[in-house]
Amino acid sequence: MKQSLIKPASASRSSEPVPIVEVKGLSKTYGKKSTAFKALDDINLKIFSGESVAIIGKSGSGKSTLMHLMALLDNPTSGTVKIMGVNASKLKGKKLNRLRNKYFGFVFQQFFMNPNDSVLENVLLPLKIGKVKRFSRKKLALKALDIVDLENKAKNKATNLSGGQKQRVCIARAIVNNPKVIFADEPTGNLDSGTGKKIVDLLFGLNKKRGVTLIIVTHDEDLAALCDRQVRIVDGKITSETKTRQARTLKTTAIREGRKEDR
Amino acid sequence: MKISDLILTANRNLLRNKVRTFLTILAIFVGSFTIILNTAINAGVNDFIDKQVSTIGGDGFIEVMPAAASEQIMTMMKTGEKVTEYNEKTGSMMSAVISDEDFEAMKKVDGVKKLEVFHVLSVEWMRLYGAEKKYNVNVEYFPAESMNVDLSAGRMTDDTVEDEYEIIINEDWLKPFNLGSAEEALGKTVEIGAKQTLKCYTAPNDCISIVEAKIVGVQAPGVLTMDGDLHINKALDAKLYELINEGVPEEQLSTIFAVGEVEPNKVEDVRKTFKELGSGYEIITVKDTAGMIRTFFDVILAVFNIFGVIALIAAAIGIINTLFMSVQERTREIGLDKALGMSRLKIFFSFSIEAISLGFWGSIFGMFVSMLIGYSANNILHAEGQFLSPFPTFDLVKFSPEVVVPIVLLIMFIAFVAGTAPALKAAKKDPIDALRYE
Repeated sequence: MKQSLIKPASASRSSEPVPIVEVKGLSKTYGKKSTAFKALDDINLKIFSGESVAIIGKSGSGKSTLMHLMALLDNPTSGTVKIMGVNASKLKGKKLNRLRNKYFGFVFQQFFMNPNDSVLENVLLPLKIGKVKRFSRKKLALKALDIVDLENKAKNKATNLSGGQKQRVCIARAIVNNPKVIFADEPTGNLDSGTGKKIVDLLFGLNKKRGVTLIIVTHDEDLAALCDRQVRIVDGKITSETKTRQARTLKTTAIREGRKEDR
Repeated sequence: MKISDLILTANRNLLRNKVRTFLTILAIFVGSFTIILNTAINAGVNDFIDKQVSTIGGDGFIEVMPAAASEQIMTMMKTGEKVTEYNEKTGSMMSAVISDEDFEAMKKVDGVKKLEVFHVLSVEWMRLYGAEKKYNVNVEYFPAESMNVDLSAGRMTDDTVEDEYEIIINEDWLKPFNLGSAEEALGKTVEIGAKQTLKCYTAPNDCISIVEAKIVGVQAPGVLTMDGDLHINKALDAKLYELINEGVPEEQLSTIFAVGEVEPNKVEDVRKTFKELGSGYEIITVKDTAGMIRTFFDVILAVFNIFGVIALIAAAIGIINTLFMSVQERTREIGLDKALGMSRLKIFFSFSIEAISLGFWGSIFGMFVSMLIGYSANNILHAEGQFLSPFPTFDLVKFSPEVVVPIVLLIMFIAFVAGTAPALKAAKKDPIDALRYE
């Protein structure tokens, strides 16, 4: 990881660690004037490194919009998103692209694979975009495929895989650049419960073993319950936040501080 | 993404929809094929004209004639008018002469290295020494140093010798002279019959003098030498002129043309000076002659090139269409690329490289096919009995990197321009909207 990308803002004023993602007063409005629709309304949230956070809500609640804003795929109407203490609105063009490329990994409900490319090509796409050398990107992609237990499918065409395998390929793609944060948008939404469980195990395994911050957008309560924290969204507003018991012991201070801010 | 990755990806994307890609390339091919073949023909023809014209002389070679003569010739050539208006000042073409006074003045003009009177020699006949049959012939003398005669055997004539008469025949004479090859003709003697104009008034049956000359070279066939004027050396020119005009008072001998050599970089200065000298004189250089012939071919080829350009415009529209479809199909892919941190510029280039690749493959395809056809045409036309068989050195179609590479690059550039609109559309896509696209 290039260190020059983002310098963590100093947290000298308090002992609180700098949140890896922090949103303040975030609002997003679609359309203008009479047809305006407020998808998000004054959202405050802190997510710390190594946490797993579920954003729960019904469809149309604004949960996906929130994820897109946190992943810097979209610009808020008002409010700020800070990544490791750095205001994202100050990041433009190249820096923003590099940040997404190096810090974030994405897992989508619809997989979004390039169907005609091989599994390997799909996995190494972020590295290709990130200008990693040909030889090392192949090595890294195979390593990522090994983690999701699909190394033997590297040369297969992406279309020829089952849904569960596709999602594992997507996870491999999400972790190939060794990201700090993985955004997962309904990762089990298109899968049966059996294969869904495998995916969930994989994601939480990465969270526990590698300390990857996991942000899962879902409407599935069971999946959400597996996360350290559950953020519930209704009509663009956070209605409640809960913590699972194990999480409390793990990251007590961090979450307490975060919650204070979030009210 | 690195450039090499962009190029590879672009070409792989082209292969995704083979039929569509093939058809687009085919459209580009039609245009590039037409233009490349056309340009190659143009190069071949121009090269031929250059070679032919240079047999008249080098860059510094000039022919000088009174402006009256040249004006009429030029007007006839340019407008096709057969009847031209009489010019009081310059007089008619036939009466216009170069005065001795002007001739001497011309010699002194800066840049003129040499100027000689050109004799219009009307000789009666020529035959091979020892043979009976006489043939009609025209001979003319130009300074050998100014000439670039394309010889198939022997050497150029020598103007420094005083009493050795030399002639260069062309290959057309081999058959009437019963000579098997050009080499065989070398060293043979010909007899030239010159009519002594004055003597013929008194003794019409005994006024032809015979001059012997040695064949020193044989000229290769060419278009401009087909008129059959044979080149002779200075000594023979002087001898024939003397014989033909024997007894004619000097003041009645007039100079109509002069030939000479000027410094090539001063041609235009000399032209200007000569124009203002005396009653005005015009010079004609080799370039002028070549230019006149070229204009004719250029017009024909320009027409064909217009067809090629029209085909290319159609092809460019094809590229735009193909790429818009491609952008549409790959909307989600673009969204993913953007989400994964690919910059707008790279997205733009990934599509515009696709367009450039289409242009590249289309023009390369066009190049190969036009080369294939061009070279076959050369071979066929050079075969025995075909119209190029007398000119072994002339290729109708001539390919060279200087000709082909710029065309390929130009077509790639046109393809790039055609691809900008679709590529911009792709680059501007919002990642979220693109990912949501169904």
